[in-house]
Amino acid sequence: MRVVAGLLCASLAVFCSAQAQAQNYPTKPIRILVPYAPGGFVDVAARIISQKLQERLGQQVIVENRSGGNGFIGTTAGAKAAPDGYTLLTAHTGEFAVSPAVFKDIPFDLERDFETITLVSIAPMLVAVNVKSPIQSIPDLIAAAKAKPNTIGMGTPGTASINHLAGEWFADAAGVKFLHVPYKGGAPAGVAVAAGEVPMGIMAISSVLAQIQAGRVKPLAVTTAKRSPQFKDWPTLQEAGNLKDVDASIWTGLFAPKGTPKPILDKLHAEMVAILAMPDVREKFAQGGAETGGTSAADFVAMIRREAATYKAIVEKANIKPE
Amino acid sequence: MDIFSNLAIGFGVAVTAQNLLYCFTGVFLGTLIGVLPGIAPVATVAMLLPLTFSLSPAASLIMLAGIYYGAQYGGSTTAILVNIPGESSAVVTTIDGHAMAKQGRAGPALGIAAISSFIAGCIATLVVALFSPPLAEIALKFQPADYFSLMVFGLVGAVVLARGSVRKAIAMVVLGLLLGLVGTDVNSGVIRFAFGLPALAEGISFAALAMGMFGVAEVIYNLEQHAADRKVVAVAKIGRVMPTLADLRQCLPSIARGTGLGALLGILPGGGALLSSFAAYTVEKKVASAPKNFGNGDIRGVAAPEAANNAGAQTSFIPMLTLGVPSNPTMALMIGALMIQGIQPGPQAMLQRPDLFWGIVASMWIGNLFLLLLNLPLVGLWVRLLAVPYRLLFPAILMFCCIGVYSINNNPFDLFQLVVFSALGYMLLKLGCEPAPLVLGLVLGPMMEEYLRRALLISLGDPTVLITSPLSAAFLIAALVLLVSIAVPAIRTQREVAMKE
Repeated sequence: MRVVAGLLCASLAVFCSAQAQAQNYPTKPIRILVPYAPGGFVDVAARIISQKLQERLGQQVIVENRSGGNGFIGTTAGAKAAPDGYTLLTAHTGEFAVSPAVFKDIPFDLERDFETITLVSIAPMLVAVNVKSPIQSIPDLIAAAKAKPNTIGMGTPGTASINHLAGEWFADAAGVKFLHVPYKGGAPAGVAVAAGEVPMGIMAISSVLAQIQAGRVKPLAVTTAKRSPQFKDWPTLQEAGNLKDVDASIWTGLFAPKGTPKPILDKLHAEMVAILAMPDVREKFAQGGAETGGTSAADFVAMIRREAATYKAIVEKANIKPE
Repeated sequence: MDIFSNLAIGFGVAVTAQNLLYCFTGVFLGTLIGVLPGIAPVATVAMLLPLTFSLSPAASLIMLAGIYYGAQYGGSTTAILVNIPGESSAVVTTIDGHAMAKQGRAGPALGIAAISSFIAGCIATLVVALFSPPLAEIALKFQPADYFSLMVFGLVGAVVLARGSVRKAIAMVVLGLLLGLVGTDVNSGVIRFAFGLPALAEGISFAALAMGMFGVAEVIYNLEQHAADRKVVAVAKIGRVMPTLADLRQCLPSIARGTGLGALLGILPGGGALLSSFAAYTVEKKVASAPKNFGNGDIRGVAAPEAANNAGAQTSFIPMLTLGVPSNPTMALMIGALMIQGIQPGPQAMLQRPDLFWGIVASMWIGNLFLLLLNLPLVGLWVRLLAVPYRLLFPAILMFCCIGVYSINNNPFDLFQLVVFSALGYMLLKLGCEPAPLVLGLVLGPMMEEYLRRALLISLGDPTVLITSPLSAAFLIAALVLLVSIAVPAIRTQREVAMKE
């Protein structure tokens, strides 16, 4: 009995101190790890939210880039960090939905190593062509690939990138095969389409928007099931190609190491929901064709799980094997 | 004419008290990090990025750009004084620059580096102002096959970098190419020769290799000698601080050639700027008027590559501002900064935000002037730094190398790489093999492979694309000519040796 009481007291004390910790949180600067180089898609998202978090929490929020190894280095560092709320991680579709389907040994696991805070941003990808290419519509593209399988170049930012998988999903739904041409990132792939090096590319909107405005690249369709609210006149692949099910998006999310106290997670979630609803934040993400998130952690995890299963099937069907 | 009204807008933006201050802050920080060995502009720009959120887009870009080209000025300082290239572009500067320092001519070397950078910067900025849109079109004309052939040309040029044996230089280039194979293959996504280490998945750290092979190896070599015979510059031998008029006259044609080459190569987003200083040195070694003393402290061997890398640094803004394509990680960060500010860099930005585009162009001129005014007086100070006893200087060099290497990826593994390459560098130094061709092989190898395989992928495996594209064919022919011009004298001397025997 005495033992039980003691345990109760002890757990109460732990609980109280956790409470107190959360009430005071943050008392020192917070680091947000980004598993990619500065200036990229994930980095920009992290920097937009870090600026707002800093204003609202009254503590410095530092973005730390730990690039390398397909995002493995930074994500592993996030998994191993102390779960005290002072190290967070921004990751994207690649780490948790795509990599598990593609790579055999991944040093981290979403549900084993991380607490999910919220979805930060989500954006469609774009199927776009060079304006001078004879291919000027999704039916054109499917017809051309049917006539000559494995010859129509499809530029993407890399093998086993989410863009590559979206392209394979599209090809599979249309019953065709494209010639996959990987580049070292979104901007070079966008320029390759603008220069006519490849007739077609699967790109993040932010990577090709400038080329579209300059009249070098023509957007054909978005890869999501719903149209983008910023670019309402671009049809979806489902509409333009009469293709069922194709619904690929590229998102970023905020995570914390497993075991971060619940009160801290709740506080961060509440702050993030408020930040992601701010008009200027929405406007900044909208520039790159993205919508802001703010979903509950449970919904976000369910979404990632769903996507991971879908991409696993695509990877197996298209036989994408980097190893 | 339009250009004048545009420039008027630009100077209107750049010559406000606030923007002048940010421009100065940028170039000052740039010089500082350029001088500290290994602290890369990428890390600095990343650290300063949050500060720019509260500035106007023009002010933030003016400052970040200043850091970038300021670092190009400063990078030559350590290359000359202590043989440590801060960036790949300063690798060639070590060859003649450090040789000059050993002869007690560190002052003129630093002076000419600043002056040629200034001249090149001014001319290249003019090129940016006048020809940005048409030049961007040229960059789009370059297909994978053309890039590949340009790299082949660059690699053949690397052999010319060697002071001594051509055979050793070729061996070094090949070793560099082999080391370049480590990392993820862009075409298949396969990770090669990484021994399961995620830190090697993106290849060998360039900074660790360069600092180990040049800087640390040199430190070990110096410590091995008795204090009295150390070739480190002695106090008494500081000599003149400024280059003489005769030096300047001798260098002017080299500066002009370097500027032209650098400005041209800087436009290509696929690694052109990187080649500029190597290419300028190669050309200089071939065409400069006698007496030539390249490799042993020829002042033109400092002037030409310094002009080229600064010209390239300015014109590499063309693909960034007009196409939205970054030519290096620092530029990628600047694009990120603009995107956070809600500006999509690219062809439209120039039309929609002329104040931004022309403001930056105008600020580059002002920045270059600041840099000259800042750097010339500093030459005297840097040279005096060599008077610091070596037992105090070398720990400082080692410490900065470590901080620099670590700060790039925040990964301790990079320090192990530094140790390994220091040992290798010392061994090669003892064997009389020079690291410069190796570095070029390491940098160009992966790019060459990427472009070649992409060219073949798109052509569906038809290798004739390399000859049927006129640009590619021209580069391949130029490479062949260069190769013959290297081989012929080498064969001749060999035959002479054989005859003697």
